[in-house]
Amino acid sequence: MDELPNQDGGYHPVLAVEIGRLRLQNPVMTASGTFGYGQEYTPFVDLGRLGAVVVKGLSLERRDGNPPPRIVETPAGMLNAVGLQNIGVRAFIAEKMPQLRPYNVPVIANIFGETVEEYRRVAEILADCPGIGGIEINVSCPNVKQGGITFGACPDTVQEVTGEVRKATCLPVIVKLTPNVTDVRDVARAAEAGGADAVSLINTLTGMSVDIERRRPRLANVTGGLSGPAIRPIALRMVWQVVQAVRIPVVGVGGIMTAADALEFLIAGATAVEVGTANFVRPAATMEIIAGIEAYLVRHRIGDIAELIGTLKVDAETDAGQAEGC
Amino acid sequence: MDETQAVRGDIVENRAVAPGHFQMSIRLPGSFPTPVPGQFVMVRSADHEEPLLARPFSVYGFQRRRGETAVDLLYRTAGRGTALLSRLEPGARLVVLGPLGRGFAPPEGMKKVILLAGGVGVAPLVFLLRSGRLAGTNACTCYVGARTGEQLTGLELLRGADLHVCTDDGSRAFCGQVTDLLRRDIGGYDPPETMIYACGPSPMIRTLGRLLGDRPIRCQVSLEERMACGLGACLGCAVAVRGESGRKEYRRVCKDGPVFDLREILFASPGGAEEGQQNG
Repeated sequence: MDELPNQDGGYHPVLAVEIGRLRLQNPVMTASGTFGYGQEYTPFVDLGRLGAVVVKGLSLERRDGNPPPRIVETPAGMLNAVGLQNIGVRAFIAEKMPQLRPYNVPVIANIFGETVEEYRRVAEILADCPGIGGIEINVSCPNVKQGGITFGACPDTVQEVTGEVRKATCLPVIVKLTPNVTDVRDVARAAEAGGADAVSLINTLTGMSVDIERRRPRLANVTGGLSGPAIRPIALRMVWQVVQAVRIPVVGVGGIMTAADALEFLIAGATAVEVGTANFVRPAATMEIIAGIEAYLVRHRIGDIAELIGTLKVDAETDAGQAEGC
Repeated sequence: MDETQAVRGDIVENRAVAPGHFQMSIRLPGSFPTPVPGQFVMVRSADHEEPLLARPFSVYGFQRRRGETAVDLLYRTAGRGTALLSRLEPGARLVVLGPLGRGFAPPEGMKKVILLAGGVGVAPLVFLLRSGRLAGTNACTCYVGARTGEQLTGLELLRGADLHVCTDDGSRAFCGQVTDLLRRDIGGYDPPETMIYACGPSPMIRTLGRLLGDRPIRCQVSLEERMACGLGACLGCAVAVRGESGRKEYRRVCKDGPVFDLREILFASPGGAEEGQQNG
């Protein structure tokens, strides 16, 4: 594609990407659970400049979440066991969406349930809500004993949940995959077969930390989800594998702190990325990452981000799925 | 209210004031809003990637003098984050997020104010006393306790107040806890005319709750909990409170607090998961 000169002699590369029928002005979204319902970050982030806002996971009814302590910092990351605390899908539509609509940014509702029926009903309630740009199905939260892990670890169940949500809404459907499985590609293919428009990965890795002086778990829930830079290489490997296993777009998530991190995922084949724990460390992280991606494209004279996505140069004999050092 | 800012700050001073206890003064841009007593800031080194998360600290002092703006913190080393901060030298660059949270409400015509501090919990109470927001109340009594005499900090800033001191080990003044001192005196306070401001470790707050029981004395407590964002997004810093309908709800220490009405708080069982809270 031709370079696009502008008045100052620089270039304005095209940053827009598409997730199914959902057009994003740039590939940078917020990861669910790290950005509240958006308003919490307005002192630092122009929500209207984001690719999309992915909100805190929503269930049919409000949930209280887990007792504290809910978080603990670990090397290059953190564990959380918030327990899917949320205000419920109807309160979200009534109280939070009116504040988000003026920003004219696609809002992606992350949803979860304890039964397939609950997933379907949450999706139905969101289907007619103006301003919702898509639905992200959380099949992977490891914190709630009856939900999360059992859905996301079983390809048949993922296909069923995806299919039911697909029937309930015309909105683009993204399935967020858990890394706590033997082969994430099986689950990704199941989501695709169920009618998903895209998959996002990875959710947190299940982890644990012990206070040796008190011989107690550092989280009241004992285990929690690990996020942050510590999980980035795992996320990147899984994204690269899934990109080759499915035809639908892949959204890369996991420890992205900087534009360089985001670019790794894009080069490996992710169509877009979600930024999570970085929001806690630097509230304006998403803005810095968007600017950094644009600067990279200008520096490399790339006119459209589509020319960068999935351009990882791999020697011919190396396949995805191999290369585990054996 | 002025909006929260994320700014660069420089350490002006960072000195040990007691074993494991430090006082840090940070130069800030003049645009930084003046905190309300009880509000807090999140601080991390601008030049270290680890630890990842900023650490929350109550504001101990705040000055605007001769064109310079500075915030003072009083902290105890409790983990990796505070250990790193304690090693930083004057001139080191920080990132400061704040002011955050809901501070103390003024005593609204109360005739008597009680400040109850355990350990570095003295920090927001010193700022409250020195901010002038207590002006108009007739008398202020301070109860300040620490584990040992040498860990008693901030006393020099409470001069002029009616000060009662105690230590857990009896190495200085009364041997016992601030709640023991208050229990001794509590009968002398007229509940409708009295406001208590308290900050300290969880066991102290829990004991205070039991001590006040059904007495109609208003008490505002500043709580501490691990948190990631400080902005109300991560939901990490949950505290259980009695909701409007009487059922248990979780509130965010960072956004709904850190100051709560003591009567709202639902305490975990002693020795339960809630103990051992530390921000470093």
